[in-house]
Amino acid sequence: MLAEGVDAQAPSQKPPAAASREVVVSAAVSLTDVLQQLAQTYQARTGERVVLNLGSSNTLARQVAAGARVDLFISADEAQMDVAAADLVPGTRVNLLSNQLAIAVPDDRPRRLASPRDLADPAFARIAIGDPAAVPAGVYAKQYLQMIGIWPAVERKLIPAGSVRLALAAVENGAADAAIVYHTDVATASHAREAFVVPVAAGPPIAYPAAVVRTGANPDGAKRLLAFLQGRDAMAVFTRAGFLAPPVREK
Amino acid sequence: MNADIRAITIFTTLAALAATAVMLVPGVAIAWLLARRQFPGKSLVETAVSLPLVMPPVATGLILLWLFGRRGPLGALLARAGIEIVFTPAAVVMAMAVMGLPLLVRTARAGFEQVTRRYEQIAETLGAGPWRVFSTITLPLASRNILAGAMLGFSRALGEFGATIVVAGSIPGRTRTLAVGIYSFTETGQDRQAAILLAISIAIAFVAVLASNRLARER
Repeated sequence: MLAEGVDAQAPSQKPPAAASREVVVSAAVSLTDVLQQLAQTYQARTGERVVLNLGSSNTLARQVAAGARVDLFISADEAQMDVAAADLVPGTRVNLLSNQLAIAVPDDRPRRLASPRDLADPAFARIAIGDPAAVPAGVYAKQYLQMIGIWPAVERKLIPAGSVRLALAAVENGAADAAIVYHTDVATASHAREAFVVPVAAGPPIAYPAAVVRTGANPDGAKRLLAFLQGRDAMAVFTRAGFLAPPVREK
Repeated sequence: MNADIRAITIFTTLAALAATAVMLVPGVAIAWLLARRQFPGKSLVETAVSLPLVMPPVATGLILLWLFGRRGPLGALLARAGIEIVFTPAAVVMAMAVMGLPLLVRTARAGFEQVTRRYEQIAETLGAGPWRVFSTITLPLASRNILAGAMLGFSRALGEFGATIVVAGSIPGRTRTLAVGIYSFTETGQDRQAAILLAISIAIAFVAVLASNRLARER
């Protein structure tokens, strides 16, 4: 049934030979560095090539919904996974990871914030976040700013960015005075420092769901890779990079 | 048409007009120099002016960001004077002007080259100074090309995306243009908004190119 779907998508495409097998992964850009590392490990272990398509989850979700030949989709929030819901292999959706928000500032003006409400201070003229219309990190950031009651005070100072890493880049090149990103992003930046880490309990719940995509050419490879990513070795790598174990699902 | 869409359309048109105004004087000056004067490094200037036409617009945007960002050489200088460019409407105009300039220069230069040298020489023998020759003979004779070049530059400015998104971002109500808006709305699943902007930009571009072609043909 699955092969049928694939054939309908691109009749000319034959399933590749086992030796040249590859798994195409569309993953939230915040996972860039860990996934690059894990892809190498996986490749060395199984001989299967992992091709990473990294971007903001809303972009990736729309690519999947448009029929992109992706095998595995890892989103940075549930909402974007829901956008692609019709194209996922039923029963494969899992919560892979969690994360926490952090406030990043340029490294030439490093400071620690006693309170995240300091963002309302005029010293922060421009605050970069992911586009709160859809970029998961921006959606979380907006939720958090609303939770701590400073959304109306900072709304006009926000620079919406196309992805969380672009928000971080705005801080790194000095265009923004602060950015609300993931805790794990800050460690990958060379010109940004962490000014505040949002405690898990104080921020919105963050989930990275993952699922096998129906239109992909290698669903079995996607399942194997997903199992590897959920395994103990991969989790150790994720944890070392600052990611958290997934929250327990309420459903 | 809702208020957001109207604001984006007006802002984009005004920014493109401002960019055309900004590029006009330096553009015409460069075009005239390239058409009429020999000077050391001429081919370098010629190449540099055309670069934005050939380079990926994102790369041009990145160069502007490096120059005008708070850590950049010009940006640091301007920041000391209290002027910020990056992520402001000024950045939109700057990106548009840089991307439109090559088209203006190339078209205007062709216009200057077509002006018969003899007319200028006759004016000179009658005692006209260089500025008078330029403003009463050369400029009017090349004006059609300059106008066509300005229209092309304006059209290019209207559609500018790559440099704009890097140096000005996509801030609703502040730096979001038609092109950038189409991208942002598509990325965030607001397809209807994107489609309306798409229709508007097609209409504007159509009129601009039509007018530019007509000007170029009528000479």
